[in-house]
Amino acid sequence: MSAHWAALLLDDACDSSLPIDPLGIAVWALQFTPRVAQKDRTVLLEVEQSLRLFGGEDEVHQLVEAGASELGVSTLAWAPTSLAALACARVGLRDGFAGPLARVLDPLPYECIDAVNAHGATLARLGCRTLADVRKLPRGGISRRFDSQLLLALDQAYGLRPEGYPWVTLPETFLARLELPGRVDTAPALMFGARRLLVQMGGWLAARHCGVTAFTLHWCHDVMRSRDAGDGGEIVVRTAQATQNVDHLCRLLSENLAKVTLLAPAGDLVLSATEVTPIIEDSLSLLPDARATGEAVDLVLERIEARLGKKRVLRPVLTEDTRMEWMNRWQPMNAKRPTTKVRQVSGPQPTWILKTPLRLDVKNERPLYQGPLQLLLGPERVEGGWWHRVKDAEGGQRSLNVARDYWVALSQHAGALWIFQQRLPKDETASWYLHGIFA
Amino acid sequence: MSAALQWIVNAAPPVGVASSQPFDVAQLPNHVSQAIWRGTEVGQAGQAVVATGFDALDAQLPGGGWPCNSLTELLQPQPSLCEWRLLSPVLAGLVASGGQILLVGPPKRPHAPGLVKLGISEKNLVWIAADTPAERLWCTEQLVKANPRGGAILAWLPQARAEQLRRLQVHAQSCDCPVFLFRPEAAQLDASPAPLRVLTTLGPDWELHVRILKRKGALLDGTIVLSSIPGTLASVFTPRLMHPSQLIAKTEASNVSTLGSAVTRRRLRQLAAH
Repeated sequence: MSAHWAALLLDDACDSSLPIDPLGIAVWALQFTPRVAQKDRTVLLEVEQSLRLFGGEDEVHQLVEAGASELGVSTLAWAPTSLAALACARVGLRDGFAGPLARVLDPLPYECIDAVNAHGATLARLGCRTLADVRKLPRGGISRRFDSQLLLALDQAYGLRPEGYPWVTLPETFLARLELPGRVDTAPALMFGARRLLVQMGGWLAARHCGVTAFTLHWCHDVMRSRDAGDGGEIVVRTAQATQNVDHLCRLLSENLAKVTLLAPAGDLVLSATEVTPIIEDSLSLLPDARATGEAVDLVLERIEARLGKKRVLRPVLTEDTRMEWMNRWQPMNAKRPTTKVRQVSGPQPTWILKTPLRLDVKNERPLYQGPLQLLLGPERVEGGWWHRVKDAEGGQRSLNVARDYWVALSQHAGALWIFQQRLPKDETASWYLHGIFA
Repeated sequence: MSAALQWIVNAAPPVGVASSQPFDVAQLPNHVSQAIWRGTEVGQAGQAVVATGFDALDAQLPGGGWPCNSLTELLQPQPSLCEWRLLSPVLAGLVASGGQILLVGPPKRPHAPGLVKLGISEKNLVWIAADTPAERLWCTEQLVKANPRGGAILAWLPQARAEQLRRLQVHAQSCDCPVFLFRPEAAQLDASPAPLRVLTTLGPDWELHVRILKRKGALLDGTIVLSSIPGTLASVFTPRLMHPSQLIAKTEASNVSTLGSAVTRRRLRQLAAH
C-alpha cells in the first residue's frame, strides 16, 4: 500500500518568534487524518486516505503547508515513508516524491536518520558519508556489528518494511497555552498570539466535527506586575451559530479585545473552547452554489454587535400592552424570543415612535408642530399601567400609569402624526405631546 | 440610421427609401431590436429589480422596480417623513418571502406594532442603532458585503461623502438585495455615484410627490404622484378624511370668521372630524 507522509519539523532554535507546542501541532493536524504521530519535536502525518476528501494531492499540500506556516512550523517535507519525509525535512528537501525513493534518499547524509546517526562515529570511520554508502555495506555485517535498529530504520525509510506508530489521540476538551515571546502591554497586541491558538482550535474542532459557540481567552499577567493587578484576566467570546471558521473567530476576538485594557503586561495566553456543539457541515456541490457567496448575515450582525455593543443591535419583541412605550421592547440579537403569540392591538399604529413624547406648543388651542396641526381622527383613549411600578431616583416607587387621548393629526410639512393629550383629573387644560409619526 | 438598418435587414440597397416614416423596430431581427436603445426610453436595468408596489413609479424606473445590484438614494426634506409609506409595499413583499429588513441608524425608534400592520413582521426586523457617521458607514458596508439575500438594507447616511458612497456602490454591485440610502433633500445638489436618486416630498391629500433626479436613461422632468395613505389609516378614515386639504381649507375659513374670539375647547372637538 502506498503512503503519503508529511514530516513537520519544529526547530529548537526556531526563527519564528513564538515557541511552538508539538502536541498542539499534532492536534491541529488531526483535522486532515487520524494518523498523526508525534515524537520529540517532530510531527508526522499520513494523508494517503484523505487525498480525495480534500480534493487531491496539491490541495492537501497547500492546506497543510499554509496551516503549518501559520502555526510557525519552519520545515516541512513530503515523502512516501515517514523516515524518508523526516530525512528530507532535515536536509531541507521539500518534495520526496520528486523521483524514485531510493534515488532521492541515496545522496542524503546518514545523519538525517536517527537510528543510523546513533552509530555515526563508527560509520564515519568506515568512510560512509551518505545513506547510499551505508546501504552498500553487507547486511549481515551490519546486523552483527550494529544493532538491529539500524537495518530496520533503513528498510523502513526505503519502504521495504512497514512502519508503525502510536497515533496521537484527540483530547476531549481543548485547552492550549502559549507563552508570549515578550511582555505585551495592550490587549489588541495579544491578537498575534491568540490567532495561533485559534488556528489550533480550528483544527481540533474540525477533527471532532464540532463547532464552538463560546471560547475563553485567558491571559496571565507578568510576574513583574503591580500588586493590585491580579493574576490575569479573561474574556469570553460567544457566537450565535456554532462555527469552525477561524477567520470569523479571529475577527470577533479582535473586536472584543479592542475594548479591553490590560491591568498589567501579559506573558502567557490560554485558550479554551468553553461550549462546543456538534455541527453538520455543508457538503460541497459540483455546481457553484449561489448562496455560498458572501458571509452569512448573522455572522456580520454578530461582528457589528461585537463592535457597537449588545444594546445597539436589536430585534423587536411584541408585548401585550396598550401603552405605546411598552407595546414592543427591543432585545439583543441572540436573546431568546418568547414563543407565546401576541395579540395585535386594534386600530392604527404609527411606524416611528419618539423615545420620550415631545411636548407641543399650543396656539389658539391648536397644537403646533412645524405649523398648526389639523386633528383628523380621535380620540383613542389609552389608560392603564398602574400595575407597572418602577423605582425612581429617590428609591421610592413610581407607577407608570398613563391616561391619554390619542389623535391622528396632520401637519403640512411633517405628514400624519400620532399625538396625545394628557388627561388630567379636573378640567384643567392639558398639554399636547407628539409621540409617533406615520411615515 | 434607420435607412442603414433597413438596408441590412432587407439585404437590398436603399433606393430612395422614404425616411419620413417612423422606423418600426419590429421589422428588425429580435437580437438587433433588443440591442437598440433610443434616447427617449427609460434605460434597461440589466439586473434584478423588485417591484415598488406603485405602478406609476415602476413605469419610470429602469427595469421596472427598485434595483438590486446598486445603491438607491432616497432624498426627503426631513428624516422620518415618508420612508415606510414609500417602501412598505416592497418591504412587505420581501418579508413575506423570508428576507430580513436591516435598519442602520434610523432617525427615530421604529415602532414594531405599526410595522407589523404594514406586513413587515417583527421577526424579520433588525435595528442597528449606530450613531456616528463613521459607525453607520461601517455597518452599512459590512451588511452590503454580507449580501443579505432576499432582504433589504435601509441606511440613514445624511453626512456621507461622494467617495464614501462610491465605495458602497462598488460593494453593492455584488449585493443581491436592494440598498436604500436615506439622505436629506439638500444632498441633491451634490454629485452621487448612486445610479438611482429619488426625491420624495409630501403632497396634499395623502399624495407622495416623487421626482427621479437620476436614473439610467432619459431624464424625467415631471413629478410622479403616488397616492399612499400611511399605515392602516385607510381602514379607519371616513371619505371626508381622504381629502384633508378640503378640511384644512374649511378650518382656515372658520378660523378667519371667528377671528378675535377664542376658539373654545368644544369648538375644537367639533372641528376634529371623527
